[in-house]
Amino acid sequence: MRLPPLRWLFLPILLVPLAWLLFTGLGRDPREIPSPLVGKPLPELVGTTLDGDAFSSASLLGMPLIVNVWASWCVPCVEEHPVLIDAATTHAGELAVLGVLYQDTTDAARGFLTRYGDGGWPTLLDPSGRLAVELGVTGPPETFFVNADGIVVARQIGPLTFASMAGYLADLGLSE
Amino acid sequence: MKGLALPVAAAALLALGALVLLEVLRPAPALSPSEQAQQIASELRCPDCQSLSVAESHTDAAGAIRAQIGELLAQGRTVDEIKQHFVDRYGEWILLAPTAAFAWWLPPLVVGAALALLTAWLFTGRRAWHGAGEPNAAVPTAGERQRIRDEIEQLDA
Repeated sequence: MRLPPLRWLFLPILLVPLAWLLFTGLGRDPREIPSPLVGKPLPELVGTTLDGDAFSSASLLGMPLIVNVWASWCVPCVEEHPVLIDAATTHAGELAVLGVLYQDTTDAARGFLTRYGDGGWPTLLDPSGRLAVELGVTGPPETFFVNADGIVVARQIGPLTFASMAGYLADLGLSE
Repeated sequence: MKGLALPVAAAALLALGALVLLEVLRPAPALSPSEQAQQIASELRCPDCQSLSVAESHTDAAGAIRAQIGELLAQGRTVDEIKQHFVDRYGEWILLAPTAAFAWWLPPLVVGAALALLTAWLFTGRRAWHGAGEPNAAVPTAGERQRIRDEIEQLDA
C-alpha cells in the first residue's frame, strides 16, 4: 500500500500561515487606531460650557456636527483652528460645531479663543475626563464627524487641514 | 509500525490541545474590589502615554479611567463588562493583552503540528513516509542495468 508523501505537508503547514500573516499584517499602519465609534451613534455629551451654560450634544442633532476635542496647550490645535472657523462660517446654518476641552483650565481656554479667534460654537468643559473617555480620546486634537442622523462617520486624530476638512465635509454631504 | 504515523500525530495534537485548554480554563482567584480595580487598571493601556498601563500612569486620562473603573465596580459590573465598557469606546487597542484572535493561536498550532509530524516520522520510520510500497529506487532494475552497460560500452568504443 502506498502512503501519501506526508513530508510535503510540512511546507504548506509552515508557509501558508506565515504568508497569510505577512500579507494581512505588513500592509497595516501600526499607528492607526480605528475608532469603535465610527458607524455608531455619537454618545450624548452632557456638561457645562465655557460660558457656564448647561449643554447637551443632543440639542445639536438634526444637522451635520463636528465635535472637536482641543486644549489651549495643544500646539496642533492652533494650526487647525482656522480650518474649523472657516468650515463653521462657510457652512453656517447647515453645520454645527461643538468643542470639548481636554485637560485644561477655563481661563487658559478663554485666552486661546481671544488670541486665535472665537468661532462662536459652544465648548463643553470636561474636568473629570469623562467626556474624553466616552469618545475614546487619546489626545488633542481629535475630531469626530457626525451626520444629521447622529451617526459618527469619521474620526481624525491630529490637526485638520483645509484639504482633509473638505474631504470630511463631503462625507457629511456638504461641499464648497 | 508504518500505520502508526497518523494516530501518533493525532495523539500529540490532542495532548497539546488539552494543555492549551487547561491554561485557558484555569479559574481566576477571588479578588477584593480594590484588587479588582487594580487588576482591571493594569490590563488597560493608558490612552495618552501608551507604553504604560492605566494603573502605572499618572496622567489625567488614566486617572479618569481609574475613577470610572471604581464607579462601575461599585455599580456591581463584572470585570469583563468593565473591560468591554472601555473597549466600546477606545477599541481593542485599550487592552494591553487583546482577546485572542485565531491568528494568535497559529504559531503554537503550527509548532505543535510540526512537532507531531516530526514525532510520528521518527517513531514510525522514514520508509512509511516515503511510500513503503515503492521499490527501492537505489537498486536499478534489469532493464536499467542493461542500459547502463550499453552506455558504458558506447563510452569505451
